[in-house]
Formats: sequence, structure tokens, C-alpha cells
Amino acid sequence: MAASNEDLEFDVEVDAEDLPQGGPTDSTMGAPSVIVNDLHVKYHVVGAKVRSSAPTKDSFLKKVLRRGKSVAGGHTTVHAVRGVSFVAHHGESIGIIGTNGSGKSTLLKAVAGLLSPSEGEIYVSGVPSLLGVSAVLMQDLTGERNVMIGGLALGLSKDEVNERFDDIAEFAGIGKAIRLPMKTYSAGMGARLRFAISTVSTPDVLMIDEALATGDAAFRQKSRDRIDEIRQEAGTVFVVAHSLASIKAMCTRVIWLDKGQIVMDGDPAKVTRAYREFTKGERPVPEPVKK
Amino acid sequence: MRPVGVRPKLSEYIRSIFERLDFLGVLASSRAQAENQNTYLGQIWTILTPLLNSLVYVLIFGFLLNSRKGMDNTIGFIVVGTFTYGLFSSTVTDTAKSIRSNIKLVQSLTFPRVILPLSTALKDLLVALPGFVVMFVLAEVSVWNAQGLQALMPHRWPLVIPAIVLFAIFSAGVGMIFANFASRLPDTIKFLPFILRVGMYASGVIFSISHQIGNQHWLLAGILEHQPIAVFLNLFRQSLINESSIPLDGSYWWQAALWAVGIFVIGFLTFWRDEARYGRE
Repeated sequence: MAASNEDLEFDVEVDAEDLPQGGPTDSTMGAPSVIVNDLHVKYHVVGAKVRSSAPTKDSFLKKVLRRGKSVAGGHTTVHAVRGVSFVAHHGESIGIIGTNGSGKSTLLKAVAGLLSPSEGEIYVSGVPSLLGVSAVLMQDLTGERNVMIGGLALGLSKDEVNERFDDIAEFAGIGKAIRLPMKTYSAGMGARLRFAISTVSTPDVLMIDEALATGDAAFRQKSRDRIDEIRQEAGTVFVVAHSLASIKAMCTRVIWLDKGQIVMDGDPAKVTRAYREFTKGERPVPEPVKK
Repeated sequence: MRPVGVRPKLSEYIRSIFERLDFLGVLASSRAQAENQNTYLGQIWTILTPLLNSLVYVLIFGFLLNSRKGMDNTIGFIVVGTFTYGLFSSTVTDTAKSIRSNIKLVQSLTFPRVILPLSTALKDLLVALPGFVVMFVLAEVSVWNAQGLQALMPHRWPLVIPAIVLFAIFSAGVGMIFANFASRLPDTIKFLPFILRVGMYASGVIFSISHQIGNQHWLLAGILEHQPIAVFLNLFRQSLINESSIPLDGSYWWQAALWAVGIFVIGFLTFWRDEARYGRE
């Protein structure tokens, strides 16, 4: 990363306050690669409405009016991430844990630039790339075409994609299926191809959203090796997963999110232990980390 | 380090589009191939759909309702109108939906979002090209049939190429405006078919505006005849059929070029203004 004056200024402002107490154990920690400052993300959902489930004793007229309201004009705002701040460095591999709906995936999408912040800001050095389970490219097209489209979208040239095509196909290991439309793929095959596409151009920041759960043992090992490789090339890796074992195996730092806020950030062993105690009901959720 | 999730500067945005022209092209051609692939007749539908459409309109408007006033060659007039409006209508519809129908792509990869409407418009142009060949053949056969061999004007035929290019640019511009609108108000997509249908009747696709309403409402007829879609239809008819009421007229070509560039630029800027927002709805 080119350390311009602007970066340094920002560093000093945010770093001192937001560095995790535990700190990553990796000794090869590099310069900051991702800075997230007081991030809020709100979704505006049209056509959905939060209805109170409490029974109400209204007049017939009021009921009809309420029913009418639920037919049209429904929209809801979901506040998925509420004031998250952290700094990630080159060579770090950060696990993000939390219960369902705690804002993990939204946070990754925002860092990847796929969702714009409602408040706060995110700075990233280099190209971020998100790898998600649901990130199907184009169902109707062959795997081959999807490789081309994915590669071009990541900013490679046609020649570069053609050059690396064999590597991608081999890494995905789906054989002749690469010439079939992706809608004929099994979930595992799709996930493998997507992983291969997303990691074709060694992104500076790779984000993996529970993709490791798919694929067989051999592929899991292969993808783990590829992630290590990316990390060694001074990239930063974010992993969202529910499996605490794989988080502990891969990550040098863990962030625990709850209701869109960071409740713990630091050493994998420490945070996962606290999280496990919480999920077993042995301890309450700690207070969110305040700035 | 650079900020993420904010709208890039316009110059930066345009540069990043040029860096991804390959992406735009591959997306358009792949989509064009995938079109109609779930049907038995496959690509034949790209010809069959406008052919059936014009058949219906020729039957209803040309013969049953007898709205042939002011046309020397009814079949040619209606055929050119329907094929041409078909390009506009499919481009605007698909382009307006392009963010929503590519939401997976939007949610998994970062690239200038305007590539989606632009590649969709290009796809619709590619899909429409075989239909334009059919339109050309039908139009010339109908001229020959209705007005005789001496009425054919081969020297004007090449003009249809700039007409198609300008019309595609114009349609893409309108599509980008609707795509932006639809991202704010999803209900736009539901309104669109009605807007397009009104557009069809207000543009003289299947009848001659000046002869149908020119007598009673000269002002309305004047407006309708100089609104952009009618201007484009006029270009196609100038180049392909021999109508005494539609002579070769350079002023129409200037108007069309201005409309195409103007609407495209407006559409592009409106789309860019909300760049950071697409995908969050």
C-alpha cells in the first residue's frame, strides 16, 4: 500500500482508539488495509412491514383500515450494522462471529463496496473481493462463460482470463461440467467454481462468507491453502463462519458482532471461548465496545 | 487507501467503464445467446416475435379498422413501425430492470453499475439485429408489391444503419433514466408497460399521425410528430419505404442525433448520481 499523507492522518485518528486490546498474534502484521469508522448500514425494504403481533381490540372500521394499510405502502428500514469501527492490517486473517442476523454478512458487503454506508466511512487499500455462498453469477450461462464474466468484472483483461482459465478450471475441479449452464450445478460445484473465480486475481482484501462449509474435505483443504497463500502475499482475509473450529484454525484475530455492534475483538482463543460461553447461556452478551 | 461505497468522481467513473469494455461486451453477447434458450424454437423467436407482432397490427389497423389514410404502402409503414418500436420497447423494459435482474452480480462483484444498463441495451440491440434484416426484406417486398419496382430506393438503404445506431443510443438513455427511477421506486417497472403502450400510439407506429389527427388537432399532431420516437420512426421510414408524406429530410437527422446524445448524457448522469445506492434496496 502506498502510504500517502492522507492515510497517515487517518491512521493516527482512528488507530489509537480502535485497535483491539488483545491484538493479533501474527508477528508479520503489516500496514492497515481496511479502516472502518463508525459504520452504520440501513436497508430499506419495500413491500415488507413489521406488524405488531399483539392482539388489538379495535372497531371493525379500524381493522379494515389496518388491513388496507397492509396491502399497500409497506416498507421497513432494517438497521443491520450500528456503529462498527476497526482497523485491519495486511497479513491479518480476521474471523467474524455472531448469531444469525447480527450483521456479519452486511458488514462484509459494506467493506467489499457492495453496500454503501448509511453513516460513517470505510477505507480500503487495493481491491476488495467478496466470496459469498449466494453469490451466483449467471445461472443461464455455462461455467466457462461465468469464469470469463467474473474475471472481467474483477478487472482482468480477456487475455488474462484465458491465460488463467485452466488454473481456475483445475482448481474448481468440476471437470466437464464447466461447459454446462451453472443452473445444472450442485450447490457444492457452484461454490467451488465461485471460489476459484473469486480468488483468480489474488485480491488485496478477500472476504469469505461461510463458503468453506460447502465442498468436500479435499476441497476445503485446497481452499484453506489458497487462503493462506493470499494472506502470505500480504493480503487481508475476512472469514464469516459459524464453525468456531475453522475460525480458530484460520484466523489471527476474531471480531464478535451482536445486533450490529462489536462486543469483542481480539485473540481468537479468547473471543471464541467467550462466544461459546455466551451461546451455552453461561454468560450474557458483554457491553458493546465503545469508542 | 480509498473510500469504499461512495460515488466515484465522474472522470474516474468513465475511466473505469472504459477499463471494463470487454466485460460490457461479453455480458451483452452472453446474455444475447442465453435469450430464448429455454424454448424449442430458440433464436428463431428473435425474428418470429416482431413478425407476428407486425402481422397482428397489419391485420387490425391496416385492414380491419382501415386506418390506411396517408399511407402509400400500408404493410411497409406498419412493419417498419412495429419492428422499430420493438427495439425501443424491449431496450427500455430490459434496461430499466437491469439492476434488479442482475442483483446477484451487483451483490457479489464491484464494478461501475452503469455497465448493467449499457450491456443490457447492447444485448437488446444484438438480439434485434436479425429482426431488422427481416424488416428490411419485408419493407422492400411491400414497396415493390404496392408501388412497383421503380419505387425501390436502394441509395437510401444504407441510411438505416445510422438510424439504428442513433435509436439504440437514445433507447439506452431512456432505459438508464428508468433504471434509476426504478431503483428509487420499484413500482416503476409495473407502470412501464402502460407508458410504452401510450408511447406506441402517440408515435405513429401503426398509423400516420398527421392524417389521423392532423385535421382536428394541428397542435397536438405537431407535438406528436416532433417528439423523439416519432422522429426516429421517420428516419427509418425515410430510408426504407417510399411514402410521399415522408420525404428525405436532413432536419430530422439532426433532431434525432441531438435527442440521442442529449438523452444518453442525461440518463448516464442520473444513473451515476446514485451509483453508491444500487444494490441496497
